[in-house]
Amino acid sequence: MKPKPSRSLIALSTSALTLPGISLADAPPTQSTASYKISNYQEDDLSRSEAPFGDLDRYDIDVHQFKLISPVGRDFSVNIDANYETLTGASPWFTSVGLDGDPDVNLSGASGIRDKRTEVSIGARYYLENGSIGSNIGYSEENDYRASYVGFSGERHFNNDLTTVSLAFSHSADDIFPTDAERFGRVISESKYSSSAVFSVSQIINQFSTIKTAFSTTEQRGFLSDPYKLIDFRPDTKTQLAWSNSYRRFFVDTNAALHLNYRYYHDDFGISSHTIDTSWFQNLGRNYQLIPSIRYYSQSAADFFTNIDDFLKPLNEYQSSDYRLAAFGAISGGLSLVANFGNWTATLTAERYVASDKYAAYNINQPSTALVKYNRVSLGFDYSF
Amino acid sequence: MLLLRRMQTTIGLLLVLVGPTTFAVEEGDKVPAFDFASIYADKPNINLEGLEGKTLFIDFWASWCAPCVLSLPLYNEMYHKYKDQGLEVIAINVDNPIEDGLDFLLDTPLDFLIPRDPEGDAAELFGVIGMPSSYLISPDGNVELVHMGFRSGDMEILEEEVKKVLASN
Amino acid sequence: MPTARSLITIMLAVTLLSACSQVRPWERGYLAKKEMAWDTDALESALNDHIFFSKEAASGGDNAAGGGCGCN
Repeated sequence: MKPKPSRSLIALSTSALTLPGISLADAPPTQSTASYKISNYQEDDLSRSEAPFGDLDRYDIDVHQFKLISPVGRDFSVNIDANYETLTGASPWFTSVGLDGDPDVNLSGASGIRDKRTEVSIGARYYLENGSIGSNIGYSEENDYRASYVGFSGERHFNNDLTTVSLAFSHSADDIFPTDAERFGRVISESKYSSSAVFSVSQIINQFSTIKTAFSTTEQRGFLSDPYKLIDFRPDTKTQLAWSNSYRRFFVDTNAALHLNYRYYHDDFGISSHTIDTSWFQNLGRNYQLIPSIRYYSQSAADFFTNIDDFLKPLNEYQSSDYRLAAFGAISGGLSLVANFGNWTATLTAERYVASDKYAAYNINQPSTALVKYNRVSLGFDYSF
Repeated sequence: MLLLRRMQTTIGLLLVLVGPTTFAVEEGDKVPAFDFASIYADKPNINLEGLEGKTLFIDFWASWCAPCVLSLPLYNEMYHKYKDQGLEVIAINVDNPIEDGLDFLLDTPLDFLIPRDPEGDAAELFGVIGMPSSYLISPDGNVELVHMGFRSGDMEILEEEVKKVLASN
Repeated sequence: MPTARSLITIMLAVTLLSACSQVRPWERGYLAKKEMAWDTDALESALNDHIFFSKEAASGGDNAAGGGCGCN
């Protein structure tokens, strides 16, 4: 069972209404909002040519998300978040050389995998004259994984609220205890720690546009390998850096807004990546909004990535055939329809994601066969009171 | 040489960014003379001369400002409660386009005076530095209270101040 | 001796700053629209961050990176 990441530090540096400069004095939201979203995520099955033996079904996940945010008194807001996921399917177990010389994938879980994940987090925010500070804690659990996390953040406005600077810190402590550990010779129980910091500056350019730039750094240490792979050995520390830039622009004549985001990433496993995504928020009358979006992602391979597991390699040398450490590119496109009537908002979203070595911007020495393609649909509701 | 020129331009622009400190009406000042057009085309202008002897509660609001939207029905109640004691509420709408303000009023009728200010001239005159901003003016034209923002509990504070000014005049 | 790169950076900064204007508090109606927020749908971005975190190597950027992540 592949452990799933929890959504920790639920967008720490963005509070419920991160709208630039409503009033000079920062203030909690004026209303409470309760939100619920149900989603289905389904990966394309492998073809027989990719996986000559064993399972073809990949992941099928249902997700339920809940969120409540409320002002409390004059100066505070509190938020509660809860997530519940159920998962069935299989993930790549090992790769081998096929009859044609190209790598083949073998999926785990001949008996079918079922897993559930539950996550809860609570947070509070205190609003001052020119900014706010906040904190949250959370916990996530599934049958082979447990994580606890904590975060702090603060932001301050300058320059008549035209400029906002924010800083956020988070720390997470995770335990992994793989299923069927003894039967398959896996590690019994391991730990991992992760700390990160984000610094961002946002600026109102004019009445219609804003920009933001942010730097984040993350340190991980502990057991970073994948215990469910037949052979997977990674360093026990990892440093990650990311630099992201965002632009928002409102077009009065068209009654629409443009979102444009770019992120550059690099880590000391040797992976670099570019992510660029854009969305167009088109208002239709007073109650509807249509939002097409497109995203392009490309990453380079980790230094120790191999697309065919080498069982003859010494066990103290780093190695992984995990496709997420391979060089590849991915394109995804989505469409959302939002309906707003009074205190209610409903959002319907569909998204298609395709990863392929055809889309990669970086050189590929060893293409991975296990790249993922998926569909995702979501239906969400928000109620303000 | 070129680099020095560029640095000077940058510093100059940075200073412009920081912005000149605008004149703002403060407690203890005299209210500036004003003559505002009403948001309703068929209603008369709202000016200081025509409000002699009244206690004025002037508020700057917009339909896009969530705390403003929260405060206006409460101001309506306050207006009805104290209008016989000489209170006038003047809620200056700064929506641009003005239709946004008019649409809001269709859903939320308000009984006090509502000037229009889509160009922000009135807001500039009062030196508004945040939305919403309210000004409590005594009958002799003294600015008794300047209040920015509208948070939970502010209505009680404002009403107390209004009562005080009405009582002492 | 200033490098070409630092000159370009300064020129870009000057261009950007000269595009900035004083937006008065009463002129922020467009910026206040929900579609102009950095994050218009918190649950949607949480879900996407979660998915991309587990399917791609990159993470982080403008929010504190996902801790509690089982995906290496």
